Amino acid sequence: MNASNLDFFRHIIRRSLRSIWENLYLNTVASGVIAASLLLLGVYVSTLLNLNSIVDTWNKDIHISAYFDSTLSEQDQLAMRDTIYAMPQTVEVRYVSQKEAYSWLTQRVEGIEDTLEELGENALPASLEITLQKEASTSVEIESFAESLRLQGFNELDYGVEWVEKFNAFLQLLQMLGILLGGLILVSATFLVTNTVHLVVYNRRHEMEIAKLVGASNSFIILPFLFEGIVQGLIGSLTAIAGLWIIHQTLAIRLQEAFLLDIVGKLHFLNTQQLLLLASIGVGLGFIAAFIASTRFLRKSP
Amino acid sequence: MIRLYNVSKRYGSIYALRDINLRVSKGEFCYITGPSGAGKTTLLKLLYGAIRPSEGKLLVGTHDVGKMKGKTLPLLRRNIGIVFQDFKLIPRRTVADNIALALEVLGTDRSTIRKRVSAVLSIVGLQGREDLYPQALSGGEQQRVAVARAIINDPSILLADEPTGNLDGVMAMEVMEILQAINLRGTTVLVATHDAALMQRFPYRKLSFRNARLESS
Repeated sequence: MNASNLDFFRHIIRRSLRSIWENLYLNTVASGVIAASLLLLGVYVSTLLNLNSIVDTWNKDIHISAYFDSTLSEQDQLAMRDTIYAMPQTVEVRYVSQKEAYSWLTQRVEGIEDTLEELGENALPASLEITLQKEASTSVEIESFAESLRLQGFNELDYGVEWVEKFNAFLQLLQMLGILLGGLILVSATFLVTNTVHLVVYNRRHEMEIAKLVGASNSFIILPFLFEGIVQGLIGSLTAIAGLWIIHQTLAIRLQEAFLLDIVGKLHFLNTQQLLLLASIGVGLGFIAAFIASTRFLRKSP
Repeated sequence: MIRLYNVSKRYGSIYALRDINLRVSKGEFCYITGPSGAGKTTLLKLLYGAIRPSEGKLLVGTHDVGKMKGKTLPLLRRNIGIVFQDFKLIPRRTVADNIALALEVLGTDRSTIRKRVSAVLSIVGLQGREDLYPQALSGGEQQRVAVARAIINDPSILLADEPTGNLDGVMAMEVMEILQAINLRGTTVLVATHDAALMQRFPYRKLSFRNARLESS
């Protein structure tokens, strides 16, 4: 870059900073619109990511309870456990004896001790708690695995995957809606910011007309606006990120108070890459809006 | 310096200028005169490329204005100084900043700009007014700032559209004296005016327009 180019860019930066200062209100409005749009987008993305993370945890918890026929000896039951453990779909198989089942129930359900005592320790069947591979945790896979268990002699099976799948489907719908909503938010924000920048351009049209008359190139006219747009986008993004952080912290504290749980650690904030992407969208938004508004002026100006 | 070959400018079927043939040599001082609507301002606009001829060929220096595109237009304008009746100064900029704009567009460094601004301000007799805002100056002084901005690039052509139209007699004479001085330094000067007294006081070649046609030159 030669000295003349350097001086040219110095003039551009100086003009941009002066324009930002002279049109402080409009620039604040533009940054505010970008911040509000990104905040909306950020809240939506954060909610989806956190819901996804919760569903992931639930997916890991999906297992099948297979109850043994009471006529089978414990030795046979253990042999069946080993057979099932050897199946490729299984990750973990836990044997729950009749005694363990009895003790579990008495601990969990109060007031049924007398009834259970009457029935005796063998009242509940022994069972296997089978955890499947993640890939085998879809409803189709689980259904086929359950069928193979029935063939091996298990009459009673208990597995609740459908509602998790329905929730997953609901999340996918939310994701699709999110893409649509995100697109709409960005288009509306571009429209709003473009119109705000257009007001800045309108405020300075007299100066730009004079600049053109004394031989200013198109880049001399447009570049200060693009720089302004980038600054607006950057300020808007940082404001949105700060807003997201405040919302995240407030929500975490409120949830902690409400459930007396250590939610702070469980509620995920956007990671660095996601934050950088959000900032890039903000900067891009400011840049595109400034480009549209300033080139619109150039097309009209002789 | 300026050559027009059968140049016409029309808006729809209405001619603003019709079949103009003209030659202005380097270093000449010319008046463009005629009643309102005769085509004076249209001719100036054609010369600085704000509008393009509908017919004919217009050469300014080496530039064929009719064929110029948006990107090359600044090159033409950097060689032409323009002065308007309403001064066209930026109210939020100081005198120095208003004048400096013509050098900033070229990427001139700030110390050179300061020196050149100071030099042109002494030519137009406004030394010491660098930091004032246009509204703090009289009409005549504002017009002199506009002239200073127009000549800071040492243009080979200076176009002035009714430069004394908003000024009283004394101020008008002062501005004309400055334009005359600029012309004496070798700049071609074209002044659009219908002020007969001015033309009598400073007699130069007259390009008289009437009904969109060049009546006499």
